[in-house]
Amino acid sequence: MNQDSGVFIVVPAFNEAASIGATLDQLSTTGHQIVVVDDGSTDATPSILSRFTQIHRLRHPINLGQGAALQTGMTYALEQGAGFIVHFDADGQHRAADIERLLEPLFADEADAVLGSRFLVAEHRQRVPPMRRCVLQAARVVNYLLSGLWLTDAHNGLRALARRAAEAVRLQENGYGHATEILIQLARAKMRIVERPTCVLYTDYARAKGQSTFNAVHILLDLCLGRLLR
Amino acid sequence: MTPIQYLLIGAIGFSATLYFLRLRSRKRDRLVVLFVSFLACACVLMPDWTTRAAQIVGVGRGADLAFYVSIVALGLMNVVLLSRVREIRLQLTELARRHAIDRSSLPQRQDRVP
Repeated sequence: MNQDSGVFIVVPAFNEAASIGATLDQLSTTGHQIVVVDDGSTDATPSILSRFTQIHRLRHPINLGQGAALQTGMTYALEQGAGFIVHFDADGQHRAADIERLLEPLFADEADAVLGSRFLVAEHRQRVPPMRRCVLQAARVVNYLLSGLWLTDAHNGLRALARRAAEAVRLQENGYGHATEILIQLARAKMRIVERPTCVLYTDYARAKGQSTFNAVHILLDLCLGRLLR
Repeated sequence: MTPIQYLLIGAIGFSATLYFLRLRSRKRDRLVVLFVSFLACACVLMPDWTTRAAQIVGVGRGADLAFYVSIVALGLMNVVLLSRVREIRLQLTELARRHAIDRSSLPQRQDRVP
């Protein structure tokens, strides 16, 4: 593992025993530091993680949500001196090979935050189930209304942040609403944001673990409530 | 006094007593609770007052005015409670985060791995 790359890959994991091993196997080939935040898993996830000796392991004493786990991973990575932070889902829907593409604009100092998009390449776009595509289009509009950013994708868990962008983010939405909250905070901090194509693999497992369409309404309510009660 | 007035005054008195005995709230909140309790007692004991107030604001019946005010008060209470719950959730998250970071396990040195 390259200890000096300055890249920390943060993987939030909650009850991911079925996929976390394969995810970490592919991430270990990147040569970057891997931070796994076990969000209070009650399945075999902790014992699987203990087999990976070359990762940073953190565990929430209780389940708090993906947003909270990401923030914990980011806070930890920043304390460890991370120069770049990558968010990567544990359910096997992302490809480790896409990480370098996301990091390129950061290394070249052309951007502060790089967001993965499954709608930039036709081959990736076709993989998105029709219903999910509709929900994501609606989410794009919500993201635009709340953050002012008109992006091609929404709620793509694969993103890379330069240190200054990670420092500008302080997630308070513990649930899935963090994906919009992070955009709001990056936009407010006037960070340079670009999108890069990434492939999302819709395996049966990832679809079962991911957000349901109905969840989108919950996310919207959480975000509105969060803004009102801030 | 009618039986229902005894019942309502008793319920208001019980709620207010419970609040003052069990909750260590701020002085401002205590004053608000005290004021609302007195107002509620006054409405129960002198229903004509609410009718007069209702006519002034154009509602008509005192019972309707009390109903509308209750709905608004319930909504406000909900917002205050949600805001408190959110505050506590943020504190709990921060506590759990610090706990997780303090007990993190670092990667083992390569030369120690068999």
